[in-house]
Amino acid sequence: MIRRASLLLLLALTMGALPAAAQQGVTDTEIVIGSSNSFSGPLAFTGEQITKFGVDLYFRVVNDAGGIHGRKVRTVYYDDGYRPQDAVANTKKLVEQDKVFAIIIPQGSPPVVATLEYLEENKVPLLFPYQSSPVTRGKRYIIQGMTLSDRSSKMMIDYLAGQRKIKKFAALYQDDEYGKSFLTAFEKDLARYNLKLVAAESVKRGVTDVSAQIAKLQAAKPEVTFLVLVPGPGAQALKERQKIGWKDTLMVSTGPLTDERYLALAAEAAEGVEGLSLWPDPVTSDLPGVKLYREHMQRYFPKNEPNRYSIAGYFAAMMFAEGAKRAGRNLTRDSLMAAFDSFKGFETGILPPITIGPDHEAQKQGFWVRVENGRFKQLTDWLKSE
Amino acid sequence: MRRAALATGAVIVLGWPWAAPRYFVFLASLIAVNAIVAIGLNLLSGYTNQLSFGHAGFLAIGAYAAAILTIRAPALPVPVALLLAGLVTGAVGLALGVPCLRLEGLYLAMATLAFGFVVVEAILNLEILTRGNDGLHVPAARLGPWSLATDTARYYLVVAVASLLIAAAVNISRTRTGRALLAVRESEIAAQASGVNLAAYKTLAFVVSAFYTGVAGGLFALVVGFVSPDSFDVFLSVDFVAMIIVGGLGSILGSVIGAALITTLNDSLAGFQNYRPLIFGAILVISMLFMPGGIASALRRIPGAVAWPPFTRRDDR
Repeated sequence: MIRRASLLLLLALTMGALPAAAQQGVTDTEIVIGSSNSFSGPLAFTGEQITKFGVDLYFRVVNDAGGIHGRKVRTVYYDDGYRPQDAVANTKKLVEQDKVFAIIIPQGSPPVVATLEYLEENKVPLLFPYQSSPVTRGKRYIIQGMTLSDRSSKMMIDYLAGQRKIKKFAALYQDDEYGKSFLTAFEKDLARYNLKLVAAESVKRGVTDVSAQIAKLQAAKPEVTFLVLVPGPGAQALKERQKIGWKDTLMVSTGPLTDERYLALAAEAAEGVEGLSLWPDPVTSDLPGVKLYREHMQRYFPKNEPNRYSIAGYFAAMMFAEGAKRAGRNLTRDSLMAAFDSFKGFETGILPPITIGPDHEAQKQGFWVRVENGRFKQLTDWLKSE
Repeated sequence: MRRAALATGAVIVLGWPWAAPRYFVFLASLIAVNAIVAIGLNLLSGYTNQLSFGHAGFLAIGAYAAAILTIRAPALPVPVALLLAGLVTGAVGLALGVPCLRLEGLYLAMATLAFGFVVVEAILNLEILTRGNDGLHVPAARLGPWSLATDTARYYLVVAVASLLIAAAVNISRTRTGRALLAVRESEIAAQASGVNLAAYKTLAFVVSAFYTGVAGGLFALVVGFVSPDSFDVFLSVDFVAMIIVGGLGSILGSVIGAALITTLNDSLAGFQNYRPLIFGAILVISMLFMPGGIASALRRIPGAVAWPPFTRRDDR
């Protein structure tokens, strides 16, 4: 009896302790946001760069300048090592334990997809997930960051089959949501030109030996071979191609793969490789936003090289800060989402002006690059995906 | 005394969702799931001395069986789905247990380790059923008119199943079967000489252990709501072994304590998984050195502490 009474008392206390109307994760002095990300496993480098050197970099700038409407932004991250079930547990912990206001830039299609339903049920904004499967398009509480696979595919095929009149395509793809969403999109876009993939080979996640697949692809004699992989196996594919002396195909990397890490791993085997780049060159670009990003990096993390992961996180934080600023002092999840819907031609100085429509995609473009002397050289202006 | 302790335990367990924050309800469900696995593993390793590094494989089979059943036959009541998950896993346990009769020690550990990898590969390749690497989203299960859609509902389901299985394990340990299993553990030759059918009991231990882990797998799928092959790597198997070593080999209470400890530790280390193996290794070495009987036997050395005969093994020590 006493026990039951004390339990009821405890219950009453917990209920009473809850603030009446204030939004979770937002106090008078602070906004708490976070994500489950990869700090171990195959995408550990990416995860650390987008969060600790990207998102946190921009928020340090913001906080040192007084915060957003007087509130400092604090971030919380947990490691899921690219494992979906850990992402689920971490996300629950963030929402229920750390009481985050929103989830910012979690990484990888499988972990992100595993958390979608939970976040939707609890009406937690999912901002700029670093993944490219179109399942995140047009959702009430999601703003997609990275250009989605169907848009990337459209730009790639329109450029190669339309402008450059290439006819024979093949693909080497990772056997999961990331790879398959690209494969489906390639097939659909090629059909518009009455073309088909002449070969498609899959690579299991976590495998780095791709020699068998490369040999099979070579036998199909494609003019262009798409690489829909993560940096490790992507670089391995280029080295393998060089090793067997397969010269008459152009290897083309997808948006998520076209990065400095993949270049560094492949070294001289990457020369002449082309790809779709989703970001201006973080090291050499003269765009005002990218210059500012480099200045901030130099000021706060002088030992960290600029790269497109940290710039992606930096961009996500910049977008969040702008949204929260527009939402005003009375920041709620709904006022934040409404603020994002008001983005019309917002200048970031990094990407072309950002307009967020009903599809809730912040990033819809990319441009063509070729690797020359170990760096990506821009070949086209921003391509269209509408 | 025992009655009072049990009643206190029951009140705490049943009242937990009303007193604890929501995330801790989810965490408590995970602890209960892991406790079932630890008990299952303990019946195998603690009682018959067969060490398994492949229990993540059994967990995966149970989880996928329950997930696929829930998706394909949504009308199926949860207990039936869980029972089927347990039975399927038990059958696999039988298939693995028979050839493993010939193996001992290190070789058995290697065979079970390989089993864990084989299961993950099988899941990856049975794409029609499992959707390979993408994993399966598990919808809320149904129990009669109720949909188990909240953390609290799932918590009560897990706790109910766990209590049932704990009671069953306590009973097994007290019967002729339990004594026979212990005899096998202490000395196979002596057990055989006393008329214990070695092959039958060792296989039985494998099947029961797999059944427990399969049911736990089913609950895991429902609690987490998502299964993918990445969930069931070899490190999970090692975690299970750590649970029973830290908790206490051959002790059911120890299994529960070990599961609670390792699960909570895993959760609080979620921010820096790179250090996990180091910390776990240290814990294992320390507990082997300073309390070889695990927490359960260390507790019994404290006078007046948890002295529940049914939950302990070698009272004479």
